[in-house]
Amino acid sequence: MRHIPQEMCSMGENLRCRGMRDMLPDDMRRFRRVEEAFRTACLGWGYEEIRTPVLEHLHLFTTSGTLSPQMLGRVYSFLDWDGWSGERVVMRPDSTIPSARLYGEYLDGGKLAKLFYVQSVFRFAEGDESREDWQCGVELIGESQPQGDIELILLAREVLARLGLDADVRVSHPGLVRAVLARAGLDAAEQLAVYDRILDGDAGALRELQERLPDVGASLGMLLAVEGEGRAYLNNLRSTFVESIPALEEPLDELAVVVGALEPLGCRCLISAAMVRNFEYYTGPAFHLDVSGQKVGSGGRYDALVSLIGGEHVPASGFALEAAVLADLLPAEAPEARQIVTVVARADDGESLASAFRLAATLRAEGLAAQVAGTAPDDGPRVAASGEGYVLSGVSGKERRLATVEAVSEALRQTGRD
Amino acid sequence: MIKLALPAGDLRTPVADALESVGLKVEGYGEGSRTYILSVGGHERAVARVFREKDIPIQIAMGSYDLGICGLAWIEELRARYPQHPVASLRDLGVGRLGLYVASAAETEGLGSLGGRRGLRVASEFPNIAEAFALAARLPAYRVQAVWGAAEAYPPEDADLAVIAAGDEAAVSAKGLVPLLRMLCSSAWLIANADSLAKKDLSPLLGPLAGSGSRGEAQSLRLPPPLPARTGEKRPAPARRQSLRMALPDGHQQRHVVAALREAGLLPLAGYDETRCLRRPKSALAGLEIKVIRPHDMPQLVATGEIDLAVTGRDCLTEHLSRFPSSPAEELVDLQRCQFNVAAVVSEDVPASDLEGALAHWRAQGNRMIRVASEFPGIADAFARSRHLGRYQVIPIAGASEGFVPEDAELLIEGTETGRTLVENRLKPIDLLFRSTTCVIASRERVLSGRRRKLFDQVVSSLRMSANAG
Repeated sequence: MRHIPQEMCSMGENLRCRGMRDMLPDDMRRFRRVEEAFRTACLGWGYEEIRTPVLEHLHLFTTSGTLSPQMLGRVYSFLDWDGWSGERVVMRPDSTIPSARLYGEYLDGGKLAKLFYVQSVFRFAEGDESREDWQCGVELIGESQPQGDIELILLAREVLARLGLDADVRVSHPGLVRAVLARAGLDAAEQLAVYDRILDGDAGALRELQERLPDVGASLGMLLAVEGEGRAYLNNLRSTFVESIPALEEPLDELAVVVGALEPLGCRCLISAAMVRNFEYYTGPAFHLDVSGQKVGSGGRYDALVSLIGGEHVPASGFALEAAVLADLLPAEAPEARQIVTVVARADDGESLASAFRLAATLRAEGLAAQVAGTAPDDGPRVAASGEGYVLSGVSGKERRLATVEAVSEALRQTGRD
Repeated sequence: MIKLALPAGDLRTPVADALESVGLKVEGYGEGSRTYILSVGGHERAVARVFREKDIPIQIAMGSYDLGICGLAWIEELRARYPQHPVASLRDLGVGRLGLYVASAAETEGLGSLGGRRGLRVASEFPNIAEAFALAARLPAYRVQAVWGAAEAYPPEDADLAVIAAGDEAAVSAKGLVPLLRMLCSSAWLIANADSLAKKDLSPLLGPLAGSGSRGEAQSLRLPPPLPARTGEKRPAPARRQSLRMALPDGHQQRHVVAALREAGLLPLAGYDETRCLRRPKSALAGLEIKVIRPHDMPQLVATGEIDLAVTGRDCLTEHLSRFPSSPAEELVDLQRCQFNVAAVVSEDVPASDLEGALAHWRAQGNRMIRVASEFPGIADAFARSRHLGRYQVIPIAGASEGFVPEDAELLIEGTETGRTLVENRLKPIDLLFRSTTCVIASRERVLSGRRRKLFDQVVSSLRMSANAG
């Protein structure tokens, strides 16, 4: 993240809000590369682009089964200028819930919608960590598993491949941990608390669960703390646990189909039971994508979400890639080498300036980049109106007199080709 | 210099006694001095200042004060919104014991019956705690109504739930409510700014205070589990309102309003006169339902249509409209009572007679941030924007604002009736914002018909005639 040099800050301190990032031209070049790779891949798979507003009603996110209380403790919510009733609005902390709202509102519940977006989400983070994250997100609403889950993982991998990045795919299923916690006799609130402790690597939580489930005992560590690979590991889990915890069978079956389709397509899958954090809306297979050990995206199935926020019950799944994180992984790019011609006005009076801007507009219409002297650096070719024609300089070291705009643009094109 | 923040209000006497019992007499504190800076007897290195209780954790968190004493409920109110705040709870002084309860009107069948109910309204002086409750219970589409006081008067008409402080469950019941959950056992605590505690010698005050109260663990909020939605349960549709609902103020405006009502021929009201203040006084006018609440909270209830008519201060209406410019709450009648100026106030030491001069003075001193303290944060914010204060910070406070200037704020936006308190605290007004007065307010978008319309016109015209006669 860049910082404004101290001497540029009139108050001797940083003027930028903490956790907010400026994107400079080099950042934007890499960001656009990510965006273009993402858009191209999505369009190729038949998705359409949407954008949702920055402000949403807070209540969309507070209903049980949407965002977790931990995540809700980090949202930016406030009373709007007409919020005298006390109902708060929130700066979009997530894009999936707004997409589900948009689907219910405009896209007729029940129909298939293949949507993608590039937009930011806002969540409080400690210190200088980013509080605005850019997401390249995809939502596939109305498509049931397993085809949808498989398509999303392959699409996400294609985006990364277009960027020259190779990702590890970790798959999980929230039903795995839920089944264990329910079998341990924990109520909904306790399940959430213990789940968070497991995600935080708290060994005590695992011990407590083992004590509550003596028939499973020490092997629980294999499920909750070990990461395995592919169908082989899923088979091991099934033979170890399903007899004691029958509710594990369904999520293991769902994962087996997804992994079984991905492996023959060359996609290696790691299985991690305890992985999905902060989003209560996941109901089926979920996945993370890591590049060089860094998480660059995640997604999963959220079949209950659309109905939770007032729509019909439709199956759905989606993912989001962290656009700014991906952009930072790309090498710096030099700006596109483009010849810019500078039009020099004959004088500083209005008429001469108007004539110069008119000539620059004509050159741009011819497909050239053109600016008027004084508005930008002018170390490239220069053209000035002179008498009945034009004088072109800064090309091949000598001045050339040309009669028409067309002749000027042809000469410039010629130098561009040379 | 060690800076100690002490509470005004109900805690003043028990805290003064507790301090005195360990040899820390704060001159004038127990007697209720109107001066806000007090010396801590025998300690040249310590100074005390009196604040409204709810402002104390904020002052400690900001580092403006090293030590403070206030109820645990207000510390938890800050923690509920800002869990990382740098306030250390040191000792329970064992005075000012209160519970913080979630309560409802009589017809609610326990906490579980709230699960899945959409649009529940929660009124509270502790809005952050109320929010934490609603989030933990996973109430769908809840609304928290932050009120200045009298939250117990809101259910059932103006809120479904209230989060209130009360001595015990019996005290909640005595307010006509059913306690559903005790979220906290509060008492007065000695608190410290974590940075001061780490870097500053506070022992001259901490030493004596070590002998008072107990060091026990500060309790944290008891939150409800997620409340599952009950299936198949339908809420009855709200009944069509038959009566005209009017709000009258408690506090310092009450005697002025009683006088206005008397002149308008709207007295007697059983339970609302110069000496008594019931939350639901009875009017002799059939169909007129009266509720007594804080004047600050009336414009919101008028805007949402819960209340048809209210008598409040223009300051409260202006504050509401500053925050919510498109609100339909409007002034109908100026009762021309309880009049005072709302002004921008600075320290007497600022060598300027107007805002421009004061701004130039602060900037010349290298003061980039102008801190504006006010009971009216909406008005203060609008003032700061429109007068181009540049980089400014609005410090919302609950009262006792005179104590803030000059150390903790450059500017106050403050109501001044006689100017005496300003002089006593070495302050002066430099800009008049507007003149406040007691007024009748209603919604521009009111829809009244039949008997309610007639009653509305009768009450408003009586009050208008009495104002014109005055």
